[in-house]
Amino acid sequence: MPPRSVRVGVQSPFPICYSVAVTTIEGFPEDLARLDVDARRAIVDLDASLYPVEALYGAAYVFIDRCYVLLDRPAPQKLRLVLTPKSLDGGEPAVRALVGELANELVSAAYRHQIAQENRARIEAVTMQAIAGAMGPPTLDDLEDFDFTDEAFEDPLGIALSWEEKYAKKAAPDAAPGEDAPEEEPA
Amino acid sequence: MTAGSLVALRDRLDRASPAFFRFRRLGPDRTLVTNLEGRWLVLSDADFEAYVTGAVARSSALYERLSDANFLRASWSEAKARDMIAKRKTFLGYGPNLHVFVVTLRCNETCVYCHASRADMDATHTDMTPEIAEKAVDLAFMSTSPTITLEFQGGEPLVRFDLVKHIIEYAEAKNETAKKTVELTMVSNLSLMDDDKLAYLLDHRVQICTSIDGPKDLHDKQRKLPSYSAYDAATRWIATINEAYAARGLDPTLYHVEALVTVTRAALERPKELVDTYAALGCRAMFLRPIDPFGFAGKTAKLVEYPRADYLRFYAEATDHILELNRGGTQILERYAAILLTKILRGEDPNFLDLRSPAGAGVSMLAYSYDGGVYTCDEGRMLAAQGDDTFRLGDVFTSTYRDLVGHPTVRAMVIASNLDSQPDCVDCTYNPYCGIQTTHNHKTQGSIFGRMRESSVCAVHKGIQDYLFGKLADGDPHVLEAFERWNTIRPREHFLHAPDDG
Repeated sequence: MPPRSVRVGVQSPFPICYSVAVTTIEGFPEDLARLDVDARRAIVDLDASLYPVEALYGAAYVFIDRCYVLLDRPAPQKLRLVLTPKSLDGGEPAVRALVGELANELVSAAYRHQIAQENRARIEAVTMQAIAGAMGPPTLDDLEDFDFTDEAFEDPLGIALSWEEKYAKKAAPDAAPGEDAPEEEPA
Repeated sequence: MTAGSLVALRDRLDRASPAFFRFRRLGPDRTLVTNLEGRWLVLSDADFEAYVTGAVARSSALYERLSDANFLRASWSEAKARDMIAKRKTFLGYGPNLHVFVVTLRCNETCVYCHASRADMDATHTDMTPEIAEKAVDLAFMSTSPTITLEFQGGEPLVRFDLVKHIIEYAEAKNETAKKTVELTMVSNLSLMDDDKLAYLLDHRVQICTSIDGPKDLHDKQRKLPSYSAYDAATRWIATINEAYAARGLDPTLYHVEALVTVTRAALERPKELVDTYAALGCRAMFLRPIDPFGFAGKTAKLVEYPRADYLRFYAEATDHILELNRGGTQILERYAAILLTKILRGEDPNFLDLRSPAGAGVSMLAYSYDGGVYTCDEGRMLAAQGDDTFRLGDVFTSTYRDLVGHPTVRAMVIASNLDSQPDCVDCTYNPYCGIQTTHNHKTQGSIFGRMRESSVCAVHKGIQDYLFGKLADGDPHVLEAFERWNTIRPREHFLHAPDDG
């Protein structure tokens, strides 16, 4: 069945353009995925409660070699992905294939995120064993490059200082033993 | 429910409830179950129902089968599971054992699917220099693996036989102090072989591997030499080399030229002819590899590619024919099956790097390209030849060994190829035996994780394991005997350059 083509006014993800030709994409629910014919892009809306944002990033990233990808949050519980193919070859069937691939990649990334959380210990143990087994112990040359000083790195902003170290009450130079210095307020 | 019935239910569950398992229907009235460590059983529908509902009678033979294979909670042995998992994962303790040397991209043969993106014979700028070669050997010898294999590839490595010799002699000298066990292998189309080169390779115990894509007409159609038959060139030297092994007193059942098939669309209709070709050449093994999307195969996909369901029909027909030949006394095996059967029947991993979890890219193999670039694997350098440097880890001039194997790309690939991190694989019945290819995922699906349900590699792996478990469930004694023979690992000691060889 050919896609139903309608011209409706919807707010584009690009705020300058407010009226666009929008058509459904065959096989996809029209309230979730649609093709913006004028701008030659596909718009996919997602229920934010179904997809962790990590999965959204992971799935979107897979497409950046073929598309310009924009993420948006048009409503508090809604996430939006806009795919603009870099090449216009293939027309609407190519865009449909992209949307289908995106949908599958989203499910895969969301599920993978869940599995990674559930199996984290096992995955980390195997990874550590594989890398450590391959790297072996450091050589003397490697050790020469190691920094064994107490100073981990330059820290002019005091980021690595603990709260106590940074804001501890300092004894006034002329304060009597046991007498507190004036308290310094955190910035 | 009364208190009494609750106690009865608790007793029943304690006694016969399932420990962790995965299952897959193999066909009518048989279900395959595998557990965490890769033990397996094929159950009838009645047995499977009794198992999953915890209704297996303690005195039954089924209870004993389930208990022996560590499938029941009541008798579940952590030590039994732990020992088998450790045995399957011994490869984790060692670094790269396979080191691929791309000595040149030049090749005199033109293959329709060339995965390596070969260069013309005048493209001398794609030759590796001796300096790069020595630095690559130095890196290979830094591996934490006590055994390393140096594999000469191309292009066609015989184009730069002088460099191959230099690498061999440099490695042999280096091993006088490094004291590793070294294997040397060369992947060649054999058309540039001559008696002097062969004598040198035999003297230095270099294993020789070639490609035969099928009967003469098919091979010559896919692999073209400028003025003569590529098939004739390859088969002539296969015979000569096998004779030379025998003349040196080497057991011909163990020492012979290994040949690989790249299954193209044209080969799909000729499974029996393909097998018969290999058998007639005296080959003892054939590896029915489907075509990959790397190199020229990406451009010629319309000619050479096919749906993987067609491949699996081909695979079953070819392997059935191989089993028939075995039944008649011709000893030949299919390599995919042998790798998987070693895992299934022996509980060991033969360390085939593309079919293990995690895969071997970076941690168990490195590829050194002609220009000094170091890649996670062979496919990594193939992608680089097409302008994709995703799997480049560094170079032989500036990278240290630890830079390379500890590279973030290697870590990412280890995580991505761990089946316990993958949707589908994590629940798959074949999880204990299988593996995925991150480079293939990257090329075909845009990420190293990929989506296994849509992956052609996954389809092939699942299909082949369906075939093998189907055969195991059928229980034909001839097939079981052949499978037992196929999974028996016989080391080829002659090719091992032992530390004390001097």
